[in-house]
Amino acid sequence: MRTVLIASLRAHTRRYVAAFVAVTIAVGFVVVTNALASATKAGLSQGVDDAYPASDLVVGERYGISEHDLRATLETARREGDTTSVIANGWLPVRSDDRTLGSEVTVGTVSTDDTMRRQDVTTGRAPRSDREALVDRGAAKADGIAIGDVLTLGSGPQGQEVTVVGLADSVSYLGADVYVPWPTLSRVPGAQADAVSYRVGDGAVGRRTAQLEDVVDDAQVRTRPAYVDDRVTMVNQGVDVISYLLLLFAAIAAFVAVLVIANTFTILFAQRTRDFALLRCVGATGRQVLRSVRVESFALAVVASVIGVVGGAGAGYGLTALVRAFAGPERIGAVSLSPSWLVAAFVGGVVVTWIAAWWPTRAVTRVSPLAALRPAESPGVRSRGGRVRAGLGLAVVAASTAVLVGAVTANSLPVLLVGGMASFVGVLLLGPVIVPALLRAVGRLLRRTGPSLRIASANAVRNPRRSAATTASLLVGVTLTTAVLTGMASARGAIESQMDAQHPVDVALTGETSIGAATLRQVADTRGVTAARAVNGVVATAKGLGSVPVLGPDETARRSTLDPAALHAVPGRVLVPPDVLGDLDGEVPDRLTLDVDGRRTTLPTRVVGSEWGRALVVNPATLRGLGGDPAPLAVWVQAADGTDPDTLGGDLGAVARDADLDTTNALKDRAYVDLQLDVLVYAVLGLLGIAVAIALVGIANTVGLSVLERGREHALLRALGLTRRQLRRVLAAEGLLLAVVAAVIGTVLGTAYGWLGVLTIVRTAVPDAPLVMPWTELGAVVVVAALAGLAACVLPARRAARIAPAQGLTLD
Amino acid sequence: MTTTTHETSTTAASARGLTKTYGDGPAAVHALDGIDLDLAPGRFTAVMGPSGSGKSTLMHCLAGLDRPTDGSIVVDGTDLTRLGDDDLTRFRRDRLGFVFQAFNLLPMLTARQNIVLPIELAGRRLDATAATRLDQVVDVLGLADRLDHRPGELSGGQQQRVAIARALVGDASIVFADEPTGNLDSTASAEVLSYLRRSVRELGRTVVMVTHELDAAAYADDVVVLADGRIRSHLHAPSTDELVDALKVGA
Repeated sequence: MRTVLIASLRAHTRRYVAAFVAVTIAVGFVVVTNALASATKAGLSQGVDDAYPASDLVVGERYGISEHDLRATLETARREGDTTSVIANGWLPVRSDDRTLGSEVTVGTVSTDDTMRRQDVTTGRAPRSDREALVDRGAAKADGIAIGDVLTLGSGPQGQEVTVVGLADSVSYLGADVYVPWPTLSRVPGAQADAVSYRVGDGAVGRRTAQLEDVVDDAQVRTRPAYVDDRVTMVNQGVDVISYLLLLFAAIAAFVAVLVIANTFTILFAQRTRDFALLRCVGATGRQVLRSVRVESFALAVVASVIGVVGGAGAGYGLTALVRAFAGPERIGAVSLSPSWLVAAFVGGVVVTWIAAWWPTRAVTRVSPLAALRPAESPGVRSRGGRVRAGLGLAVVAASTAVLVGAVTANSLPVLLVGGMASFVGVLLLGPVIVPALLRAVGRLLRRTGPSLRIASANAVRNPRRSAATTASLLVGVTLTTAVLTGMASARGAIESQMDAQHPVDVALTGETSIGAATLRQVADTRGVTAARAVNGVVATAKGLGSVPVLGPDETARRSTLDPAALHAVPGRVLVPPDVLGDLDGEVPDRLTLDVDGRRTTLPTRVVGSEWGRALVVNPATLRGLGGDPAPLAVWVQAADGTDPDTLGGDLGAVARDADLDTTNALKDRAYVDLQLDVLVYAVLGLLGIAVAIALVGIANTVGLSVLERGREHALLRALGLTRRQLRRVLAAEGLLLAVVAAVIGTVLGTAYGWLGVLTIVRTAVPDAPLVMPWTELGAVVVVAALAGLAACVLPARRAARIAPAQGLTLD
Repeated sequence: MTTTTHETSTTAASARGLTKTYGDGPAAVHALDGIDLDLAPGRFTAVMGPSGSGKSTLMHCLAGLDRPTDGSIVVDGTDLTRLGDDDLTRFRRDRLGFVFQAFNLLPMLTARQNIVLPIELAGRRLDATAATRLDQVVDVLGLADRLDHRPGELSGGQQQRVAIARALVGDASIVFADEPTGNLDSTASAEVLSYLRRSVRELGRTVVMVTHELDAAAYADDVVVLADGRIRSHLHAPSTDELVDALKVGA
């Protein structure tokens, strides 16, 4: 049998290409994940190690250090004459002269002690006083910051001004765009200390450890190596979580690969039935034939997995080199592939292939020697096995629908996942019934376009199981993609209505002096502004707040905002927004006494989550009762869709500074949230793309193998007058039909899953979240799938059309 | 006879210096080695010869299914060697009919769909003339109650009859049959051959049949005997003895 085995491996190599590619991609994906994860870990670990230079001890908890412990540590250091460096960071608004660099710029700390400084200064010098800053080289380039610029960190009265004195290389761990000494950063609200890097002046490390442990409450005092080890472990765990999430996508890709491989083997063995029967005729036992094909599939599994591992490792090193070249060497470390991952990827690939080939190979033993002498028949549509399968599929779909309904009622995500997976399996089982029916329906719709499509649709339904298996592989990707699209569209809708309430005003310019008509016109004329409404108010003083504008927006001003209800105050009540809340240190009195020009009014307060800058809001009627002379103290701006938040913020900032107004830019926050959602969607879609790519290889494969199988038929059609172009069209149409049907079923399923997900997950957080159908994206998925199906058939179709009719007629 | 003058004045198909070589150099095989042949219209011609004599290659070249290495072929007044692939395809579709030894029919189409396939491929509708001819052909071939069956549900003889019906339903000037009875038992063979002969006699078609069976050749009007890629003899209405002699010399 060895001669037969080797000969058939050689003869059928080309036919195994698709199965081979599917396994290789899935295995390679796992290895690339490991390579990138290891490089990221190496980069982060190096960064952690570099973050505490020249220190003996590090004081801190797992996630930061409390204010009390920080104070106690710094106090001890001052008393003992030791050197410390506080590691801290925050996301703060930063302004340079007349420009806003951003409302959430990362700001970290830099030590004024040269030995304890973790940054490498590349240009200029390191800060020597608290009022000097170091800026990340990349950030300086991106934001146009130069040495000598003055930056303002934070906003309002607590804003801190610093002068840029140097530029530094990027830091991979606790890196920031701007670094200032801790005393300055500590004065800006929103900065959070992470740990204190501590150098013991007299070298008595043990004694100092004990002293420090006495004064701190929760923080641990550890030697630098011990602390670094702990941090590296923690950081690595974060990377591991991402690696495991990526493995989930690898598993999806592997599942699709199983479908493709199983289908490939089924078709190949069907085509070789006569060969097997002939072997049986000349005396091979069923067991011998079976062993031969099992070894064949095993050889494929081993070779494809080896190439997947090697290719994946190569891709991992290549990608790492790319990141180093474009983002700088400090972003990512060296790749160190873990042997256990490589072995797992290899074994996984072999096992997946083995499992996928198991069922089709079993069919080989059922080939009777007589089959060699009979013309091959296509399997019947209504075999007994087919009916059992369909019945089972119906039962599974019915049962899982009940589970899904239960999941929605109980708001349970795990139940939803179980129900979703079960129902998908049910649909796959029903495939041989649903898919041909849909193929026929779509084919009938397109039949008018000529004989090519008619032959193609007849071809596509010839072998229901094969068509079902081919579409199933693409179905997985399309279903998940459309589920993500639908789910995210609805989630985005919910988030946006929340954002509207939270940021009813796009940009608010608020001050304590009356705003002139000229300024208002300037604001209204700024590019990107669709509406600018002056809001009347008076300046009041209140305990804990100092002087604060009290605004009484009228109907017109409120109507032009995104959420008029959020800005409506019941007469006699005062709305306290987060910006004012910050000044009160989070403790809001039930009543607030407002002093306007010596006239005192006490009003009940209501804390709201909506932001419109540092101002209180009351009903216009209440405002009139407060005394003083109401004048325009704020301008509320609504921006056109698609306006760049930074440009508008900068333009309005310039106007605001001239008129001595503070700006609150909500567009920036919205843009950030939008970006996060986009990144999430694209990342998921990109990862699902791998599964879709494998499925397309599968479609090309099915059509390609069908081409081989139908060589004689194609020759006959050509003899009877089908032109080359028509033949190519027949095959392309077959791929198109398969892809369109997969896309249609997938979109219906995916949309349903997406909605169920919204009902189960999003509705628990936002009860009135709308169900949004992303029609454009869904349409795009169907079109892309159809085009991809068409493209997948280009090569097989060309090959089929090249064969001369006479040559095809002699094919067996 | 008037038909005799008609035959001499025109040919259904003719080949001049027809050569087909596979491979090159010393390993070259000359499947056809300079064949000159004229086939008369309205007659049933059998092409005979032992295995490897080139009879299938000759038919493939005459029918525009394969391109000769050298020489010219004129069928129904058209020089096939001057046609591009698309024109050649359209020529086959509109002017020629085919009956092969096996795998004649598309398994996923019914008998009727198979019969009208060439018309459909041409993008034409089944007009009144074609519909009348379809009824006539189906009637002659005795397929009226088999039209809605798929090939898998038909016997070998019935499948070949469907193929003949397909070849006749169009306006084909020549029907090429490649070993049409090779897979059939003697009863079915006789049936198929008599249908082919009837299509010549009753419908006035021209049929060229490749066969290696003496019994099959006996149904033909003319017999062309090939050996080693050359024409050994071209007999007109031979008696069985003449035929046997011609083949003996060849063997």
